[in-house]
Amino acid sequence: MRAFARHKALAFVLLWCGLLPAPVFAGSYAALVKSAELALQDGDYLLSAEIQYRLSPKATDALKNGIPLYWAVDIEITRRRDFGWNETIAEKNLRFKIQYQALLNVYRVRNEDSGEGGNFSSLASALEALSTIRYVPVLRKSALLEGEHYAAGLRVVFERERLPLPLRPFAYLNRQWYLSSGWYVWNLKN
Amino acid sequence: MESEKLKPPVSVSILILFALILLSLQLMSSATQESSELSAMYSWLLLINALGSVVLFVLVVANILALTRRLKKREAGSRLTTRMLSLFVLQALAPAAIVFYFSMQFLHQGIDSWFNVEIDRAMEDALELSQASLDQRMHWHLMQTRQLAEKLQLSSEGFSAHEIDNFRAQLGASEMTLFSRQGRIIASSSVNPADILPSIPDEEIWLQLRQSGDYIALAPVSENELMIRSIVTVKGLDTWYIQTLFPVPLRIADLADSVEFAFVRYQEMNFLRDSLKLTFSLALSLVLLMSLLAAIWVAFISIRHIVAPVKELVKGTQAVASGHYEQQLPVTAQDDLGFLVESFNIMTQRISGARDEIRQAGVEVENQRAYLETILANLTAGVISFDSNYKIRTANQAAFRIFHVHVNQFIGQSLLSLAQDHAELSEPLKSIQRLLEQADDIWQQRIAFLGPNGRQELLCRGTPMYSHEGARVGAVVVFDDVTDLIQAQKNAAWGEVARRLAHEIKNPLTPIQLSAERLQLKLSAKLEDGDADILQRSTRTIVQQVEAMKEMVDDFSEYAKTSKKQAVNIDLYALVQEVLGLYVLKSGVVVQAEQDKKRLGINGDPVSIRQVLHNLLKNALEATEGHGHIEVDMRRIQKNNGDFIELGFFDDGPGIKEEQIEQIFEPYVTTKAKGTGLGLAIVKKIVEEHGGAIWVDTRHKNGAGFIIHLPAI
Repeated sequence: MRAFARHKALAFVLLWCGLLPAPVFAGSYAALVKSAELALQDGDYLLSAEIQYRLSPKATDALKNGIPLYWAVDIEITRRRDFGWNETIAEKNLRFKIQYQALLNVYRVRNEDSGEGGNFSSLASALEALSTIRYVPVLRKSALLEGEHYAAGLRVVFERERLPLPLRPFAYLNRQWYLSSGWYVWNLKN
Repeated sequence: MESEKLKPPVSVSILILFALILLSLQLMSSATQESSELSAMYSWLLLINALGSVVLFVLVVANILALTRRLKKREAGSRLTTRMLSLFVLQALAPAAIVFYFSMQFLHQGIDSWFNVEIDRAMEDALELSQASLDQRMHWHLMQTRQLAEKLQLSSEGFSAHEIDNFRAQLGASEMTLFSRQGRIIASSSVNPADILPSIPDEEIWLQLRQSGDYIALAPVSENELMIRSIVTVKGLDTWYIQTLFPVPLRIADLADSVEFAFVRYQEMNFLRDSLKLTFSLALSLVLLMSLLAAIWVAFISIRHIVAPVKELVKGTQAVASGHYEQQLPVTAQDDLGFLVESFNIMTQRISGARDEIRQAGVEVENQRAYLETILANLTAGVISFDSNYKIRTANQAAFRIFHVHVNQFIGQSLLSLAQDHAELSEPLKSIQRLLEQADDIWQQRIAFLGPNGRQELLCRGTPMYSHEGARVGAVVVFDDVTDLIQAQKNAAWGEVARRLAHEIKNPLTPIQLSAERLQLKLSAKLEDGDADILQRSTRTIVQQVEAMKEMVDDFSEYAKTSKKQAVNIDLYALVQEVLGLYVLKSGVVVQAEQDKKRLGINGDPVSIRQVLHNLLKNALEATEGHGHIEVDMRRIQKNNGDFIELGFFDDGPGIKEEQIEQIFEPYVTTKAKGTGLGLAIVKKIVEEHGGAIWVDTRHKNGAGFIIHLPAI
């Protein structure tokens, strides 16, 4: 009987854990990767991407009340293998923060790694500034081997864990906080 | 000992469980503090605690389901467990629910009390004030820039790049740049000579500038530094733009920053108010849920420990109730329940001891009874016991031997129903029944009946039985077959008579005869003819009578002798034919016998049997005076579980008077003038000595009829 109960509990936990990440990619407020490419320039692969951020009313409301929102753009280059897992050969994270400044009535966008950023008088222009990624070096050409197939992937992750603590549990439960995009994958021409 | 070894791990594991629960709850609670390092782990802690609650919930539900199943099966201890558990849950739930309710109340009120309209207003006012202060400063700088622009407009012809340093110094700006219409830098001056490249306005500023002609805005230079950027159109030959950057004094920037920070913080808190309440409620609910579930689960375990001996006791009691007195229960604890279990063990020991004793006593009583029964069964005397309603209760083996009836089959019935099935016993049984019902004391009765082996004489003794209270509980009848004894007594008596006759009578007869003959011999010659004739007649009479007496005495001693000297198998039919051969000429004798003559065999002394036939035939001939009709019937019959040969002698003589029928077989009873009166007595004696019976057939009305039953072979 107790063994049965244990199995039941285990099944319940698995169900929970299995269901949780499922809606991450779905939802009408998820960011969209419109285009992404890696261009070869001077032996470096430079990333350019066009991303559309879509804020839900709740997220907008939170932002206007001074709560900063964080996004991370994940880039991953993998070598395709016929058998087994694909091998990740390069990874890069670009982290962005957007915050409303009440005194100046501006939206401040900031690259968390470089500290660069700017102030925008409207949310739309701030998001617009976020949406374009230009010429970010990802890896050197020499890291790629001849005759192998490589794939590049890009996604935008909304960092729920950097929300204020009281919002965090609800960010997992409310679809308005599912702002991350799915993987955008393309073949890398070698 | 074993249970004691087992105990600590259970309690230790419970303690560890509680510690873990408390730790995770404490971690979650600490994580809710914004500044805590655990804050980053908050979601995980929440999930772990939720999972813990789910696991505990599943445990509790599984326990409840198991308990429900045990309740349905009416298992021992399940009801006690349910009662204790519901009591515990009620007692734990009620205060917890009350505390929970008021904690929620305080929590919500506490959070709400942080915010109110005045603070809201003050915050907005403070922000507005700082904005107004900055606005004023901006407006002032805009005015200054406009004046400068007007000045430049007038002197645009002779404007030289050097003058811009003076202008900048006059206005107190940190940087001043003159752009062409296309945004090209015409001249630039900075307070810091190292800044070669001036700050360039972006697309948006240009757009606004072309629309309205002026631009004024605050621009953050770095984290804590603010700058006022004002751009004004210079209208001259060419449209120029002059941009001045004024530093905001550090103090004002700090103040504005501080106000903004407080405002944003307040705004954020206000926005998060409901989420915060929910978060705290969630944490509080989780704490309550986990502690309650853990408490219930522990209650299940501890109640199981408490109820275990009770369960054992119930099982033990059930076992004792169904007769297993050897039940011993393990003593698991030294508490009251342990004491109870010990007492139970002692009780069952005593009960089983007492049971064994009773069983042994029962066996002894049974042995005694069996012994008595054996004695009774082997008694030669028949014993029949009766209950208070005079129904047969027991009958021994000897009763069967004596009555030739399975008295055992009539247990529970009265003697009268026994009499109904066995006509020959009906008279004696009825008289016994009568005596049973009437006698208050020991009684004795001699009864006779015709059994399969002939006439049987029984000596019955009856005793009514009384209980201690004096109530009549039944009776016992003991009867002995005294047929042989009585016959022996009779024989002895007649033997004695015969011996005396021989001695007392026969002995004097010879001298009498001899004396009479001598008188004749001596006196006949001396007497005259007449006297001699008298003498001769008298002596002849004396001699004849003496001869007759001798004959009589001989007959008598013959009677007294036992007849069954040497028993052999006799073909009765042949014997009858042989005897009839002697008489057949004299009379018309009809012999009727059944077809199978060989079945008419008996075991006996042929001489005696022949005498029986002689005597009866002689009687019949004498009765009919030689002219009558005599009938002899022979057949084999079954009676009283035995085979008999029935021999019937019927004549058409004068018959026997009714008053003589009773004594006709006694010696010296006769209807005839002649004879000794021993003929029928001898017949009866011989028949009885052969185990048979003879009686007068009263149904035969035309003369005398005798029926003899002799055991067949």
